Amino acid sequence: MQIRKIRIMTGIILALFFISAPAFGVDDAPPTSVRIDSLSHLYEGVDFDHELHVGIEENCSVCHHHRFSSEVAADRCAACHSECGGTFSPTCSDCHVAEPFTGKHIRQMEEDPHRFHVDITGLKGAYHLKCLNCHIETGAPTECVDCHERTDAGNRFYRSGKYAPTGGKSGGSHE
Amino acid sequence: MSGISRRKFLKSTVVAGGSAAAAMSSTKSFAMKEFEGYPESMGVLVDLTRCIGCRTCEAACNKEHGLPEPELPFDDFSVFDQVFHEGKQKRRTTEKAYTVVNRYETKAQGAPVYRKLQCFHCSEPACLTSCFVNAYTKTKEGAVIYNADVCVGCRMCMVACPFSMPAYTYDSALHPQIIKCNFCYDNRLTKGKPPACVEACPQEALTFGHRKTLVKTAHERIRSNPDKYVDHVYGETEVGGTSWMYLSSVPFDQAGFNTTLQHHPILDNTKSFLGIVPMVLGIWPALFMGFHLLAKGGKGDKESKDKVEVHGE
Repeated sequence: MQIRKIRIMTGIILALFFISAPAFGVDDAPPTSVRIDSLSHLYEGVDFDHELHVGIEENCSVCHHHRFSSEVAADRCAACHSECGGTFSPTCSDCHVAEPFTGKHIRQMEEDPHRFHVDITGLKGAYHLKCLNCHIETGAPTECVDCHERTDAGNRFYRSGKYAPTGGKSGGSHE
Repeated sequence: MSGISRRKFLKSTVVAGGSAAAAMSSTKSFAMKEFEGYPESMGVLVDLTRCIGCRTCEAACNKEHGLPEPELPFDDFSVFDQVFHEGKQKRRTTEKAYTVVNRYETKAQGAPVYRKLQCFHCSEPACLTSCFVNAYTKTKEGAVIYNADVCVGCRMCMVACPFSMPAYTYDSALHPQIIKCNFCYDNRLTKGKPPACVEACPQEALTFGHRKTLVKTAHERIRSNPDKYVDHVYGETEVGGTSWMYLSSVPFDQAGFNTTLQHHPILDNTKSFLGIVPMVLGIWPALFMGFHLLAKGGKGDKESKDKVEVHGE
C-alpha cells in the first residue's frame, strides 16, 4: 500500500515536471506560429510564421539576441557576453517595454550609473526595427499591410479607405 | 584755449567717467548673461536612419490636436513629390499641420532619406526673442508655447525663426493666429507623457527624454555605429541648441537642413548692440556736458555776452 502510494506520487511529480519542462528552460521545439498582438490597435495582430523564419535563419540569436544557447549574433555583444548561457525566455517584451517613454522608464534608464544598456527601444520599435531591417536587406515584404491588416480604427486614424478626405476647399497656405 | 578752471575740468571728467562706468557695469551684467537652457528640459532625438516615411507621426499629431482634415490620406505617399516655389521648396508646416515628413533623394545611397519637420523648440528661441508682446514662452519642460491672446499678428516671429516653422491662419479675418507644434505641452508634456508623434512612430525614430541625456545618447549611437551616422548631432549647438535634435546617415544639407546657421542663439546678434543703449544714454550727456564746459572756458556768461555784442555789430 505504502509503496503503491509512493509510486503514484512519483509518477505524478514526474508528469508535472515534463509538462512544465519549458518553464525550466528545457529546450522545446520552437513554435511554428506566434501570435503577436499585444500592441494591436491601428493594425490587427500578426500571425508570425516562426517556422518559416527558423528555416531561413538557423542562428536564433539573430532575432532573439538575448538568447545565447546558440551563437552570439554580433561581435559587439560577444565582447562581454561570450560566456553567457541561454536565458529562460526568448520573449522580446522582457527587455523591450510596451511604453518606453513613461517617466518611470526614462528615469530607470538615466539614473542607474551601473546600467550598460540604456538606449533600449520599446517593444513596437524593437519589432519593426528588427524585422524590417532584415526584410529590407533580403527583399522580403515591407508594406505595413503585408504583415498586419489595418483595423477600422486604423483607417480612421490615417484618414484612409472609407475615411479618405472627400476633397473640396482645402485652404492650405499654398493654395 | 582760455583756462578752464581745474575744478570744472575735474568735475566734468568725474561725471562723464562715473556715469560711463555705471552704465557699462549694468550693461555688462545684462548682456553677458548666458542661458544654458532649463536643466529639466525634455527633448526628442530624431534618428533619420530609422525613419521610413510612413507619416504615422503626421496622423497622430492631427488626431491629438483635432486638426482639420488633410487634403490627402496620411498613407498617401504622393505628397513626397509635392514641390512649391518652382521646385525649390518641399512641404512645409501649415496652419493645418504642425508637422510634415519630407523625402530627400541623396547622392550616395540608393534609399531616400525621410525627415520629420516641426518646431525645433530652441533653447533660446528666435521667435520669443523677436516678439515684443511676450506671446512666446520657453517652458521649463522644454516646450516653446504660444499665447494667441496677446499676439498682435505682426508675424515677426515667422521672419525670425531660422527654420521657418511658424504658420499663420491668413484665412481667418478676425482671429488669426500663429500655428506651430507645441510639443504636446498641455495634454502630454505636463503630464509626464511623450508627444503623440513619438508614441505613434512604429520605428521609434523619435526618442523622447531629457535633452541632456539625449545629447549623450546621440553621441553614443554615433560612437557605436561609426559607419552608420554622420558625426554630428544637428541641433546640439545650432542657434544655441534646440530640443529636437537629429541624427543622419547622410550629410545634413542633403537632408534639407540649413547647415549655415550660427552656433549661438539668434538673440546674440542683437544683445550686444542693444546692450550698449544704457551706456550711450549715460555717457553722451556727460561727455557733451564736458565738451561744453571745456569750450565755454569756464569764464561765465558776462564774457560770452560781450563777445556776442561785438559780433553783432
